[in-house]
Amino acid sequence: MKWKSALAAALLPLAAAAQPTHVPSFSGKTITILVGYKPGGGYDATARMLARHLPDHLPGKPTVIVQNMPGGNSIIGANHMYNVAKPDGLTIGTFNRNLPIAQLTKVQGVKFDMLKFAWIGSAANEATILAIRADLPYKNWDELRKAKENVVIGSTGPGANTHDFPLLLKDLLGVKLKIVSGYSSSADIMLAVERKEVDGRAGSYTSLKPFIDRNLVRPIIRARSNESVIEKLPVDESFAPNPRAKAIMALRSAPEVIARPYVLPPNTPADIVKVYRDAFAATIKDPALIAESQKAQFDLEYTSGDEAVKVLKEVLSQPKDIVDEFSKYVKFGE
Amino acid sequence: MLDAFIQGLLLVLQWKAFVFMLAGIFVGFWVGLLPGLGGATTLALMLPFIYNMQPVEAFAFLLGMHSVVATTGDITSILFGVPGEATTAAIILDGHAMAKRGEAGRALGAALASSFVGALIGAAALALAIPIVRPLVLTFGSPELFMLAIVGLAFIASLSAQGARGMVRGFLAGGLGLFLAMVGQDPQAGVARYTLDTLYLWQGLDLVPVLVGLFAIPEIIDLVVRGTSIAGNAPAGRISKGVFEGVKDVFRNWWLTVRCGLIGTFIGLTPGLGGAVAQWMAYGHATQSARTAEERKGFGQGDVRGVIGPGAACNSKEGGALIPTIAFGVPGGASMAILLGGFFLLGLVPGPDMLTKHLPVTFSLVWTIVIANIITVVACFLLLNRLTALTNVQGHLLVPVVLVLVFIGSYTSNSSYADILVSLIFGALGYFMVVAGWPRAPLVLGLVLGKIAENYLYISVARYDFAWLGRPVVVVLLIIAVGVILFPAVQAWRSRRAHG
Amino acid sequence: MANRTSLGLAIVIMLLSAHGIYSAHEWPLKAKLFPLVIAIPLFFLAAAEALWVIFGKSPTASASDFKLSEDQPAEVARRRTLLATGWAIGFFVLILLLGFPIAVAAMVFAYLTVQGKEGWIFSVVFTAAVWFFFYGLFELLLHMHFPDGWLFGGFGGF
Repeated sequence: MKWKSALAAALLPLAAAAQPTHVPSFSGKTITILVGYKPGGGYDATARMLARHLPDHLPGKPTVIVQNMPGGNSIIGANHMYNVAKPDGLTIGTFNRNLPIAQLTKVQGVKFDMLKFAWIGSAANEATILAIRADLPYKNWDELRKAKENVVIGSTGPGANTHDFPLLLKDLLGVKLKIVSGYSSSADIMLAVERKEVDGRAGSYTSLKPFIDRNLVRPIIRARSNESVIEKLPVDESFAPNPRAKAIMALRSAPEVIARPYVLPPNTPADIVKVYRDAFAATIKDPALIAESQKAQFDLEYTSGDEAVKVLKEVLSQPKDIVDEFSKYVKFGE
Repeated sequence: MLDAFIQGLLLVLQWKAFVFMLAGIFVGFWVGLLPGLGGATTLALMLPFIYNMQPVEAFAFLLGMHSVVATTGDITSILFGVPGEATTAAIILDGHAMAKRGEAGRALGAALASSFVGALIGAAALALAIPIVRPLVLTFGSPELFMLAIVGLAFIASLSAQGARGMVRGFLAGGLGLFLAMVGQDPQAGVARYTLDTLYLWQGLDLVPVLVGLFAIPEIIDLVVRGTSIAGNAPAGRISKGVFEGVKDVFRNWWLTVRCGLIGTFIGLTPGLGGAVAQWMAYGHATQSARTAEERKGFGQGDVRGVIGPGAACNSKEGGALIPTIAFGVPGGASMAILLGGFFLLGLVPGPDMLTKHLPVTFSLVWTIVIANIITVVACFLLLNRLTALTNVQGHLLVPVVLVLVFIGSYTSNSSYADILVSLIFGALGYFMVVAGWPRAPLVLGLVLGKIAENYLYISVARYDFAWLGRPVVVVLLIIAVGVILFPAVQAWRSRRAHG
Repeated sequence: MANRTSLGLAIVIMLLSAHGIYSAHEWPLKAKLFPLVIAIPLFFLAAAEALWVIFGKSPTASASDFKLSEDQPAEVARRRTLLATGWAIGFFVLILLLGFPIAVAAMVFAYLTVQGKEGWIFSVVFTAAVWFFFYGLFELLLHMHFPDGWLFGGFGGF
């Protein structure tokens, strides 16, 4: 076996030399990561972290900078990537994971087709969970389901996972929840939890983790996801009373697999796409990046472009009646 | 406690951390001067640099930068009438009026001294509040925050001219502000309200382009009309002389400075109200210190108290804003969210532990704010002659430069040309309001408080039905709001009696 | 002048709030409650102001806000106001057509020579100084990206 890998290693440079034109080099170039949000949020922080480490894994060690194009819950940025940015590999875009929902529910102003982007993949996946105050009498999902009195859940507003996830639990699974919306950020809801104004909130597992560790809140139920740490939590879909409810819950959680989507403009040459996919896969495994991201308390995990397209196809090919039913509960937002 | 207090100081004074704090101050100094470009944006832009630093240094760098942005933002506001930051717009009304009268030195002296005192008050409040900080912050639930917004809106009465006619115009401006605050997707039903079918307006009107247009454009037009320098024909020698006069003004109005500093701290520590509110409430409060009708009319024409009030509030709120971030691990805004990332890099998870186990670190933050402000104020005083000389530069040299800064400043808020369009539209609105004698301050107050009032009212009703109206703090705030509304009438009555 | 402007503002606010009331009627109650609570009184306040201007007598209300200078004769003031507006709008159009980097240089230079009547050499030096400050700070240091002008095929920015 050993000699095989040794041979492969010896032949590798030859193979590369045989087709030099197929590996585009970015030597001396500046690559821009276009972020669909203002500086300061999770999408922006991820992009800035990647911008520091991508150059090491791209041919020619280009400079990578981050540019913010906020507005319309990042539809503006996606429209720009789709219609204006050149497919030369010098502009990559990252935006709201829920944009497929915007396309599906035909939100006004959407001027892109998610499937036609050249997908690099996703830099992280996110798991939405519901957590309630640890001092409540409900210790787990079974007890919460049987709750007689309303459990108050704070939310930022329709379209955010703080709102839609508990809304489906309430309307489709019949849990006694009362959703109070209008908080300006998930941080604000957390403070409301502290002062016992609300009993809990939904949100990504990573953002809730410090408060779970501090024993302020207790995780109760989760949406379907790839996150391995919280595998033990029950999944909302498995309690769906009928296939339709299950489909709606699945549709809401589907984009969370591609929580930090990264794309190239449509019609980007395949060799450039491949270079980026390889670079992303390598960067996210880079120990230097892992050390940094752990310090900053977010987990990065690469989901391939093919996988992302598969998820999108599933989301965008839903029959009309499911989409209509879905839009009754979920609006595009955040 | 005292032990931790001193340990905190020693943490800041480690030479390497200190050097990085100086670097942070240097960056923050320039960011504050440039209109539009805000503290949060720059913090994000500077993040790549901190990875190469030790945690303590990184934090000194970020907080040092953050603490001085508001201070130097005042300078741009006073000298050019262009808001350096969204949080330093209120100081324009009287500060720039003084600069035009040839008193730029006095205005800057007063602004720097008051913001220094404000920073000390904020830091002291932060230090003193540590034992009671958790119950203090937790007292303010959504009903209380709603009532705070109402108290803020009540200041519209003080920011309007006296008499029925003045009130009508003030409340018209305030109402227009509230109405414009409704633009954007609403958080109850998800409806896109008044977005004119554009994506740009989906998240509401951005404050920076609005403020830049509303205040800077009328000043630019006036500068062109006068055809002189900003200070007009005031003799060059006089302009920088008043600096110590300005510092003395702060001590002459000592209690006003302290009260406005406390207003700022208080607004800072109640997350959800936002930094832009504090300055206007402080300004409104400053106008209440006028004893006669003539004095009242002097506000907006260059009354130094109109500089001291917002000056003290805009820096003291930073100390306050750190409180929820430290005590609960809950950032109060975009800047604080990035600073929270700094905590994580330190290996600290903000929360109750910060008030016990990591108390020295908490105090080192207090000290960083204090020391960064001392350094900035001293540096500004050294530069003051150069800065005030700018008001003697001929208008036709200043106008193109200020126009460039104004346009870029508004463009950077969303990287959209629509930002500039918003600035131009609100510039026109601001100009016509000035011509017609309508006050602009209520418009801004309405704009920053409209959404807050709506959201917290809905939350209060949804959560407590109408029982929230009986909460003691709500009742107290309601009485304060009524008092604030009636105050101008009391003022008018008092001045009539003094004359009669 | 002040009165006519006030009337104009009042009418604009009446139109805005009327539009606000009208377009709110089809929203769900929770979305329209606040806009209506604000827009309806706003409409009547604006109407009151308008009537006051038309039928009222002395307009003595003055805001605690800055007043435009009155040093110049009305005719000169009006001409210069239009001029300033023209420069601001012209600069915006230049930015759209040429993009920020070129527009900044063009506007500063044009303003100095045309409006300021400065000499060529001074104008060139001053423009260069402003431009390098702008470019160094925003492009090189802060990596702000400015889209190309519409004339050069860059249709971004909106």
